[in-house]
Amino acid sequence: MIRTPLRPLARILPARAKGENPDAIERENLNRRHEEIEAKARVRAESRLLVLSVSFLCAFVVIGGRMMMMATSEPSEPLANAQGTVIANQRADIVDRQGRILATNFETHSLYAQPPQMVDPLAAAKGLVQIFPDLDEKKLIKNFTGKKKFLWIKKKISPEQKQAVHDIGDPGLLFGPREMRLYPNGKLAAHVLGGASFGKEGVNSAELKGVAGVEAQFDGYLRDPANGDRPLQLSLDLTIQAAMERVLFGGMRLMSAKGAAAILMDAYTGEVIAVSSLPSFDPNDRPRVSIPGEDPSENPLFNRAVQGVYELGSTFKIFAAAQAMDLGLMNPETIINTRGPLQWGKFKIRDFHNYGNALTLTKVIVKSSNIGTARVAQMIGPLRQKQFLAALGMFDPTPFEIVEAVNAQPLLPKQYSELSAMTISYGHGISTSPMHLAAGYAVIANGGHYVSPTVLKQAGPQLGPRVMSPVTAAASRQMLRKVVSEGTASFGEVPGYAVGGKTGSADKPKPRGGYYNDKVIATFASIFPSNDPKYVLVVTLDEPEVFTLGETRRTAGWTAVPVAAELIRRVAPLLGLRPQVEPAGFGGVTLTSN
Amino acid sequence: MSYLEYSVNSVPSGFRKILFLNWPLILLLFSVAGVGFLMLYSVAGGSFSVWAEPQAKRFAMGLMIMLLAAMIPIWFWRNISFVAYGLSLTLLLGVEFFGTVGMGAQRWIDLGFMRLQPSELTKITSVMLLAAYYDWLPAKRVSNPIWILFPLLIILIPTFLVLRQPDLGTALLLMVGGGGMLFLAGVHWAYFAGVTAIGASTIFTVFKSRGTEWQLLADYQYRRIDTFLDPSSDPLGAGYHITQSKIALGSGGWTGRGFMQGTQSRLNFLPEKHTDFIFTTLAEEFGFVGAFSLLSLYVLIIVFCVASAIATRDRFSSLVTLGIALTFFLYFAVNMSMVMGLAPVVGVPLPMVSYGGSAMLVLMAAFGIVQSAHVHRPR
Repeated sequence: MIRTPLRPLARILPARAKGENPDAIERENLNRRHEEIEAKARVRAESRLLVLSVSFLCAFVVIGGRMMMMATSEPSEPLANAQGTVIANQRADIVDRQGRILATNFETHSLYAQPPQMVDPLAAAKGLVQIFPDLDEKKLIKNFTGKKKFLWIKKKISPEQKQAVHDIGDPGLLFGPREMRLYPNGKLAAHVLGGASFGKEGVNSAELKGVAGVEAQFDGYLRDPANGDRPLQLSLDLTIQAAMERVLFGGMRLMSAKGAAAILMDAYTGEVIAVSSLPSFDPNDRPRVSIPGEDPSENPLFNRAVQGVYELGSTFKIFAAAQAMDLGLMNPETIINTRGPLQWGKFKIRDFHNYGNALTLTKVIVKSSNIGTARVAQMIGPLRQKQFLAALGMFDPTPFEIVEAVNAQPLLPKQYSELSAMTISYGHGISTSPMHLAAGYAVIANGGHYVSPTVLKQAGPQLGPRVMSPVTAAASRQMLRKVVSEGTASFGEVPGYAVGGKTGSADKPKPRGGYYNDKVIATFASIFPSNDPKYVLVVTLDEPEVFTLGETRRTAGWTAVPVAAELIRRVAPLLGLRPQVEPAGFGGVTLTSN
Repeated sequence: MSYLEYSVNSVPSGFRKILFLNWPLILLLFSVAGVGFLMLYSVAGGSFSVWAEPQAKRFAMGLMIMLLAAMIPIWFWRNISFVAYGLSLTLLLGVEFFGTVGMGAQRWIDLGFMRLQPSELTKITSVMLLAAYYDWLPAKRVSNPIWILFPLLIILIPTFLVLRQPDLGTALLLMVGGGGMLFLAGVHWAYFAGVTAIGASTIFTVFKSRGTEWQLLADYQYRRIDTFLDPSSDPLGAGYHITQSKIALGSGGWTGRGFMQGTQSRLNFLPEKHTDFIFTTLAEEFGFVGAFSLLSLYVLIIVFCVASAIATRDRFSSLVTLGIALTFFLYFAVNMSMVMGLAPVVGVPLPMVSYGGSAMLVLMAAFGIVQSAHVHRPR
């Protein structure tokens, strides 16, 4: 910038020469300078004002635009769990083999409070206690008037309760939608279904997660939103399950047993048609789990059919006989020395009764001779017995698809000695679940193939690897039939259904070693109809006791067998089996009754 | 041009001044205050005596103060601006020691006849002093760093005192209003650019340091900032106001639910429904039409102030009018943005509508000064 000098000499010098006052020129120049600065400042001020006005305009447009946006928006309730995970709330249903609902979802509400919004906390607390008598009024008042901003009052409430709370009319009492799992059949198939509970909970929804049974086993499938309309179909049949639970419960009471379990399994597909463990529970309201120090097997949540492992006693004898026949060591008529007691080292094996010096193999099974079976096992030897039992699935947890099944690891002797082989042949020294036993009997029933017990509906037979020849299986079936028709399970006779089976009464082990002499696990493993078996039924009673014919009886023949017979009588027609006249000697013509 | 340089004789005198008042502005103030009475009547559930009546009384008193201030020549206001600023600072200091605690912060001082909020007063007196300062300062010194120091002090001292109360909203308004004055006075662009850059880089550094070893703030402070910036992350806590007011605005729609029909505000869902959040009631009951009308009224007030500022050739008059307009603008812009979730919740009332004495009286007095500038402008 070129500065104009305050004393413009070019003008002052001539002025001075003319005798004028140069100060006037200087003042004039100064004034001009001032005006310039003023003018510049004014221009600047105007530009600043323009900027300000533009920003005012912008703010006006933004605020007005926002107003319009909000006016046109639909009001929405706030999400309490804004940053929370998306909670899948369409859990798939569970249905039985006929498509009937076993587990479904139910809309309900949770009740919570926001004390800052409460109009009259005292009245609200009083009203709530009238609706829910289990609430503590003093505690509620303390919570409502304290610093809490949020609290749960009830996780699930019924529509009636919701209306009643609504009628209190306090804006601080709020409801959140809840989807809860409903088991409309109550206790039916409780152990298979297991149960579900809430996982992560928000005000507006809660996660449902399976905690036991198939609910836990198939949790991933059930909670996958893609499967919302594709229910999980089980192999269970609701009608048969109901009949089984009714009969089993009656039988358990009649036999004064403290627990009972039953499994009805399709011998060809492995489908479990009905399975029950008593005492039972209601999956809608699961009882508490057992606390440490308590015997978990006493808890109703304990699944005796799948989870519990027991020495199942003489029901195992048929496996020894079948293996001996399969190996060609014996035939059903082979004579076996049954003179007792059988001494092995310090260990003595005795029979329940003295059956004389010798019995045929069939008679050994029919009379249930421990000594005879142990002799058969001696011939087979531990190595071959192990292979055979392993092929029957007796050494691993069953593949039954509920989470509890993996706990049923069979108990075996530490050293599989010759003596172990002998005791195991009559079902002592090996503990398995009733489900294992059912799978083993299915092999005999279906002609020699292993089948995996399953809870899912199958399309057709699922025959696994061959364990024994069809001839052996047929001979074994004949023996089982004879146990019922002329042996220890004579109460198992159900006219028209040719029941075959084997009893087992095993003394219960004491917690600190040794065996009780007045507590048994009575088991009856059966197949029917034994000329062409379709189904396997295992019934187990825990500590049964019945006073009959002047004697207290505990053996399976007097306890488990009649219960099983009653079960078959009730269930066989439901399975679509018609009573048939038994063909003579299995070889003849099948005659229908007329 | 300073008032010393123009002829005082060209200014109307005596009661003739009334004719020269900025009457459209007074009319606008009446309309806005009327909206306020209507809303306070509605919020009180149809009762005049709860909030509307005291508010009306204060408006009448404010009107008197405004007319009185308008009659007093603008050069008087220029000359006492330093004293007024000193007085308001003293009162602000007084709040530190004798203040009454209200709403969790120390803001009020009891003057016997009314409870005064000195921070409101300071907003206007600092604008006055800044205007007087730049009126006095020769134009060529405006951007000189040494001469910028004084106005900075004028802004920062009350800001600091208000922050201590603590009242973040008013402090921010003081800073922005003061900065706006400097901008209008013609301080060089570079200063504003520099301050903006420093501020932005500080904020950037603070957030960048989060989660690193050299983290500048504690975790809980970051979380507070998070909720402050995004209240919807905590809808039942810090974000409660916002959520509820958004619902109210949304349910108002275009034309609203009708007078006295607002549910959200009348069912006690909203805290502060008669003060800072009264706009939600308006928006719910009169919808977009009502809310936009109020906004337009406010903008018209600003327009008339700016027009008056342009018309006057007196630098003080022009600056003080613009400063007051800016302050007024910040009030309603921040309040509306905060209610509509555009800005974080800071305690700023809706001017002339929210229930509250200090703000109303101070604003009316400030408009008195605007009127005085208008009446006594050089002709």
